[in-house]
Amino acid sequence: MSQPENVKKPEELRIGVFVCHCGLNIAGTVDIKQIVEYAKTIPDVVFVKENRYTCADPGQEEIRKAIREQKLNRVVVAACSPRMHEPTFRRTVTEAGLNPFLFEMANIREFASWCHPSNPQAATERAKDAVRMAVAKARLLMPLQTIEVPVTNKALIVGGGIAGMNAALDLAEMGFQVYMLENTQSIGGHMAALDKTFPTLDCSICIEGPKMVDCGRHPNIKIFANADLVRVDGYIGNFKVKIRQNPRYVIPDRCTGCGECKDVCPIEYPNEWDMNLGTRKAISVPFDQAVPLIYAVNKDYCIECFKCVDVCGARQAIDFEQKPEEVEIEVGAIIVSTGFDVYLPYDMPLLGYGKYPNVITSMEFERLILAAGPTGGKVIRQSDGKKPHTVAFIQCVGSRDKNKYPYCSNFCCMYTLKHVVQLKEKYKEDVEVYVFYMDIRSPGKGYEEFYDRARERGVNFIRGRVSRIDEDPKTHNLVVHSEDQTLGQPIEIEADMVVLATAAIPKKGSDEIARILNLSRGADGFFMESHPKLKPLDAPTDGVFYAGACQGLKDIPASVAQGSGAAARAATVISKPKWKIEPIISVIDESRCRNVTAKCGICVDKCPYGAIKAEPNKAAQVITASCHGCGTCVAECPQDAITQMHFTDAQILAQIRAALEKDPEDKILAILCNWCSYAGADLAGTSRFEYPPSVRAIRVMCSGRVDRDFILEAFRLGAGMVLVGACHLPYDCHYISGNYKMKARTDALKGMLTKLGMSPERFRVEYVSAAEGIHYAEVITEIDADMKALGKEKIKAENAKLRPIIENMLKRKK
Amino acid sequence: MGSKYLIFLGCAIPYRVSAYEISARKVLSKLGVELVEMPEFNCCGLPLDPVSHEAMLILAARNLALAEQQGLNILTLCPGCAGTLKKVNKILKEDKTLREQINAHLKEAGLEFKGTVTTKHIMQALTEDIGLETIRKAITKPLTNLKVAEHNGCHILRPKEYIGFDNPEDPQTLKTLIEATSATCLDYIDETECCGAPSVGVSDKVALQLARDKLSHIKMVNAQALITICPFCHIMYDTNELRIEKMFNETYGIPVLHYPQLLGLAMGIPPEELAFNELRVDATKIVKQVTEGAKQE
Repeated sequence: MSQPENVKKPEELRIGVFVCHCGLNIAGTVDIKQIVEYAKTIPDVVFVKENRYTCADPGQEEIRKAIREQKLNRVVVAACSPRMHEPTFRRTVTEAGLNPFLFEMANIREFASWCHPSNPQAATERAKDAVRMAVAKARLLMPLQTIEVPVTNKALIVGGGIAGMNAALDLAEMGFQVYMLENTQSIGGHMAALDKTFPTLDCSICIEGPKMVDCGRHPNIKIFANADLVRVDGYIGNFKVKIRQNPRYVIPDRCTGCGECKDVCPIEYPNEWDMNLGTRKAISVPFDQAVPLIYAVNKDYCIECFKCVDVCGARQAIDFEQKPEEVEIEVGAIIVSTGFDVYLPYDMPLLGYGKYPNVITSMEFERLILAAGPTGGKVIRQSDGKKPHTVAFIQCVGSRDKNKYPYCSNFCCMYTLKHVVQLKEKYKEDVEVYVFYMDIRSPGKGYEEFYDRARERGVNFIRGRVSRIDEDPKTHNLVVHSEDQTLGQPIEIEADMVVLATAAIPKKGSDEIARILNLSRGADGFFMESHPKLKPLDAPTDGVFYAGACQGLKDIPASVAQGSGAAARAATVISKPKWKIEPIISVIDESRCRNVTAKCGICVDKCPYGAIKAEPNKAAQVITASCHGCGTCVAECPQDAITQMHFTDAQILAQIRAALEKDPEDKILAILCNWCSYAGADLAGTSRFEYPPSVRAIRVMCSGRVDRDFILEAFRLGAGMVLVGACHLPYDCHYISGNYKMKARTDALKGMLTKLGMSPERFRVEYVSAAEGIHYAEVITEIDADMKALGKEKIKAENAKLRPIIENMLKRKK
Repeated sequence: MGSKYLIFLGCAIPYRVSAYEISARKVLSKLGVELVEMPEFNCCGLPLDPVSHEAMLILAARNLALAEQQGLNILTLCPGCAGTLKKVNKILKEDKTLREQINAHLKEAGLEFKGTVTTKHIMQALTEDIGLETIRKAITKPLTNLKVAEHNGCHILRPKEYIGFDNPEDPQTLKTLIEATSATCLDYIDETECCGAPSVGVSDKVALQLARDKLSHIKMVNAQALITICPFCHIMYDTNELRIEKMFNETYGIPVLHYPQLLGLAMGIPPEELAFNELRVDATKIVKQVTEGAKQE
């Protein structure tokens, strides 16, 4: 790995600037000619070229050609967001023999043309500044070598539903060792509890059962059922995973699954697998096809009569002394397939669930109509055990509801169609069926035809939202009050049974999984993918992938497909002997480290990854492969002894100076973290949210990198306003807690600056997620309005007062 | 104990359902609540909203500004008044531009709205300020054998974002208050449905049909009385009960009590002082059951 010190006086700087039209995306607003002419005037820029599409092959070829012919040793592309094409252009310059880290991007699309369309002149000015800032950074760029780490060729699947099982089987078939973690007693997930599957009406367990058995028997798959994920350390290719194996009070290797213990057990308790409609014994398996087929004792119910121990006899499989056991495994990739939960609408009193015995959920209905279910496949009413003759199905209970879950739960329309077809085909004319719906969503293969089948069976589809269900206290029949949009009037239907198609919601414990694996969750609570279109299977944490409904609700075919997709993604990691890591990590200058002479270790405390060690009287050391490159330690080091490669103090200060070269009092200097706030700002551009063009933005990997000195320097130079953009507290930070470290630092700084007479609104910290483009635009609009309200004169006066104090504080900087 | 409010009576109560006011004053005074009169109050504003939203805001803001001058919170008996004052207070507190616009009008009367007082309906004051514990302690004649039904009505609960009290889809406060008297509060179909009053004047037939449906559901569970907390709901059931019986050729005979009347009975206040004689539907039977039956038990 290269050290900054060994770069002495480099050869003469020869910077090439490539300005992209992006068709009319940039050129339609920004005056490209002006940018080109301006770039030519910037010192050290020896070559400027415009392209219609720099990212296309001809555009890339121009760059390669110029590097060779013009002997360029730095390249700046002024085009879209670096979050879009930085990797592309790094590859381009590498192909021409230049180190990829001698490349820098100026974002003049998301940050200029797209967000200031009605002010082309201001957009052009902002683009010029962006080019100047990029060149300023480019001058100080240093070549870096990519780091390689070894890869453990094994994978962990968290969650053994249909998606996780498919991922496991695919990886195992590729020859990789796979660990499956399942927190219930059996793999199989929701699918194992279903009766039939739409639109083919094939028996769910009949098609899933064999796959479960395959997982259980595959020599490359080891299942940890009834186990929890405790802790994950490490990084892509090298995860150390701690699993807690919860006690079953049955020794897996000795249990033959014969079930003799169950037969003698005198205790029954409600079976969760049956939605608590049926019972299971205190020693039992949740369902007959469970994998692994190992019995478990529920100590909450067990009366310790030990009949099971007697009948088990010489096999000696039952062990009441079993304790939770922690297991550590090492894997190279992790697939999260934790699935979803079903919402139980106890808090929607108007529908009477939990109050009226004959109002049930679809999942309960599923267990009733299932031949192996608690009623042996008979659909009966809870109030009197009689068969219902009129059944009303109500769609979107909790889903598509602004007061509950605003999203569509994806598969409820289809499973309700399945339920009504099953009912009609089972009981024919003997049952009248109503479906109350907002829209029937049947866009899958064969789904619309299935909807037709339901209609042909004579099911009454009523388009309208149900307002209320009343119960006749004597008969326990239900009166459904709804609107009928077709009639344009309210209607009432009396039904013997009401089935609620309730929302599917994020799995309980998702927050815990997110914390352990450092994942982020969307506003709906499901896991956020790295890119909604192009990286739908990748988590923001490298080496972690998603499969199934945990990332967003999907039905069985989609979950299966995603499981295989995630397996393929994971294989791209674990099939390699070594994994390359970006070298934008922290490096400690041992000669400046205070820990040599005093007990310091601040960096050790502040590092979110525990990637720094500081032994007494020795300089602190960064564990290269553990460093994620957030730069928090760099900002915290009181001696400025730590440098983040590619985001050095000198480089960022050069960007700040370039940004505030002209009329600093009219400018908002924004320092944005790469993952959330910069992405949010990009989204503001992509969404064409217009905001004032006074902002000049600098990208850092994490807000934790924002050094106090950056803010002081900005105000010393006369900046009007300063904004630090970060990921939302508490868990959104992509470096675990960089945003917290930044908050502590900036809170103190803000207090100090305010005391020194600066208007508090001039320094703001805002939390903007990657999804909050509108929020970013609003924040900038607000800050701009505040800046205008303060007025240039007041800002200048405050700055004049502050400058001597700040200069004194910045003395140690050159 | 020792709570002090400005009493806001509104229009309907003093003119049409004085029994509500009489019984409420009795009960509150016995619970140690001091009510301060404020003759300067004008209409809450609600009836004017469909005609002029601004006029409604000004009327309500004037009331609130007057209360602010006194430094006292407002207590109302009518849920419509409470709802309007709460809503306008919230709107004006949150909308600076609108507040300035309304204050420009109030300035002519030498007033300014600041948003410093709160408004509570008697039911909210009873549960939140006075407290169920105090109420339970004041009960001397528990209504153990009485089975009643409740009707909340609309304004006391809706719109939720302005009222911020109880759950409009599953209201519990009135039930809790009734049960504090040891009476049984029965569940029935349509509990949260409309009494019909808003439709009076537009279509009396619709209004009476709605009230009739509810009365029949209440009868179905054999409730001995219906308890209301809104003057309009009370008019709908009490004043109109005979008319409904005639119109649908049915008999209900369900007395309709204002909640303070029920509470007053349980607190041992003589029925004469609770204005039972002003009810259209004869309540003698249950009053007797309480005053005499309690002794027998």
